[in-house]
Amino acid sequence: MVLNDRTLGVAALLLSAFLAWFGHGLEAAFTYEPVGPRAFPLLLATVIGLCGLRLVVKGGNPAAPNPPGANSRIALMVALLLVYAGLFQWAGFVLATAVVSACVGRLFGGSWLQCGIGGTSLSVLFYVLFDRLLDVVLPLGWLEGLL
Amino acid sequence: MSAMLDNLSLGFGVAFSGTNLLVALIGSFFGTIVGVLPGLGPTNGVAMLVPIAFAMGLPPDTALILLAAVYVGAEYGGRITSILINVPGEAAAVMTTLDGYPLARQGLGSVALSLSAWSSFVGSLIAIVGIAAFAPFLAQWALAFGPAEYFVLMVFAFCALTSLLGEQPIKGVLAAAIGLSIATIGVDANSGVYRYTFDIPHLADGLDFVVVVIGLFAVAEMLQMLENKLSGQSVEVPPSQRKLFNLRELRLTSGSTIRGSLLGFVMGVLPGAGASVASAVAYANEKRYIEDKDPDAKFGQGDMRGLAAPEAANNSAATGSFIPMLTLGIPGSGTTAVMMGALTLYNITPGPVLFEQQPALVWGLIASLLIANMMLLVMNIPMVRVFASMLSIPGWLLVPGILAISFIGVYAISATTFDLMAVVAIGVIGYLLRKLQMPMAPMVLGVVLGTMMEQNLRRALSITNGDVTILWASTVCTILWVLAAAVVLGPMGYRQLAKRRRAQETAP
Repeated sequence: MVLNDRTLGVAALLLSAFLAWFGHGLEAAFTYEPVGPRAFPLLLATVIGLCGLRLVVKGGNPAAPNPPGANSRIALMVALLLVYAGLFQWAGFVLATAVVSACVGRLFGGSWLQCGIGGTSLSVLFYVLFDRLLDVVLPLGWLEGLL
Repeated sequence: MSAMLDNLSLGFGVAFSGTNLLVALIGSFFGTIVGVLPGLGPTNGVAMLVPIAFAMGLPPDTALILLAAVYVGAEYGGRITSILINVPGEAAAVMTTLDGYPLARQGLGSVALSLSAWSSFVGSLIAIVGIAAFAPFLAQWALAFGPAEYFVLMVFAFCALTSLLGEQPIKGVLAAAIGLSIATIGVDANSGVYRYTFDIPHLADGLDFVVVVIGLFAVAEMLQMLENKLSGQSVEVPPSQRKLFNLRELRLTSGSTIRGSLLGFVMGVLPGAGASVASAVAYANEKRYIEDKDPDAKFGQGDMRGLAAPEAANNSAATGSFIPMLTLGIPGSGTTAVMMGALTLYNITPGPVLFEQQPALVWGLIASLLIANMMLLVMNIPMVRVFASMLSIPGWLLVPGILAISFIGVYAISATTFDLMAVVAIGVIGYLLRKLQMPMAPMVLGVVLGTMMEQNLRRALSITNGDVTILWASTVCTILWVLAAAVVLGPMGYRQLAKRRRAQETAP
């Protein structure tokens, strides 16, 4: 798929339709004000729709293509981020951060040894800094019994 | 004049006590750290300290000085990650990314850090002088702003923002509208209707600003960094050759700093407008002003004037927002709202009589704002070295570090996996939108201002029972509409004119 202003325009039109479709049914059971909860979203849907229309008609401005092999790496990075999001609370901050940091570090050119040591120290350091010193409570997850 | 000096000397008497000085120092340092962390902003910092200050039994003036120092410190700290890793530490620092990060990529990270510390200082200084001179007078003026005026002011802010996008203002409008739509997610405060929540309980409170900003900036930036690395560009920002700005740079930016400060102060005084609007308007204003005069200006690619103006404006606005809080009892920003809450813990009600009843408290606060600012400047210039050393961290360690800090920031808000997943999704969308050259700043501003903008529109229309003429009935509204139109149409007309002139020149 080519990314250009026309793609963006189509996406904007879809978003506008989505906002309008779910927005027109928004009504308060009783209200004391002349403008209800749906006016503002519908106004925005109109603006987004008009912008989308303009972009579709005008077109142009194709995005620079990614270098070969980049898309799969970027997809891998997104997958790692989702794994991190999933593990964060369940497995705990320290474990999730150590593992995911090591893998992300690999994508950015570190060796396994560097990334392993880096990820582990990062997770411990941040845990002590935020949870213990700054009072930002982080989940312990699987390590709950140990620490 | 002599009354002002009397008041200030009373204030400095309070601020220069040993405890209050120490408290200002601790507050500014803690505030800087809070400001650096994306996700934790001045409001969180102040909110964290209110119960601690109260529990420690600090007297009201000392407590207020502590909270004010945290506030100012966080406004300083917010710019550090904006400049170094393109992730704004808090909402008002979004504009700082536009020129600050390109400067860092050109190897001028430390220069940008020290210069922005200086313009922040000047911004606060001008606002403090402004408070001392005009507080009661300005408070009266701000009272003239009703909901209709606020709505039009925000329309003006968006117009000013989209005009700074140069060739493709349509994408700016689209971005702002998307941001505003994101802000409509959640329970409608007026009617209790659930909007766009699709029965997902996590969406009842809407998407938090931090979730959006971390997604659009931090996650999208990491994906962009990966792409750059694979296409052979370096991931790391080069270390700075110089640590401090020089005299030439100081002279170049001084006009921008002063214009930004004055504008920021006026915006700060308006209750509700706050530092984010101020920095956006100041940037847009400065870009247009400079580009008309100087064809070599490189706004958006690392122009120091584009860094100085919004930084001066956001600190000036933050300081100026104390005026409506102290004189009218209307908080000028989210943070001053929290501080007002703290004052009520001490049975002090801010309002028109506070200046007369509690002069020591008010002027002590004003004086200690000045002292906190000086401490921050002194603290920040040597610390530039420490912050800038973040830049020599290799990509394989830097990116996981940014990732972990971002996720901690998001998790700290609501402690749910849902928000973390949402951040990743928004980040992927943000990455694609960036590839299509969509500007992120109007979108973020839309998320920040959306609720306020809608509320003011609805309140204004409630007054007239649905008659929209209220939106241009008052003089202030009319002036703001004219300014908004000028800001949008001016550059368009200018471009047309330039095109025609060029066509004439090339024609035989």
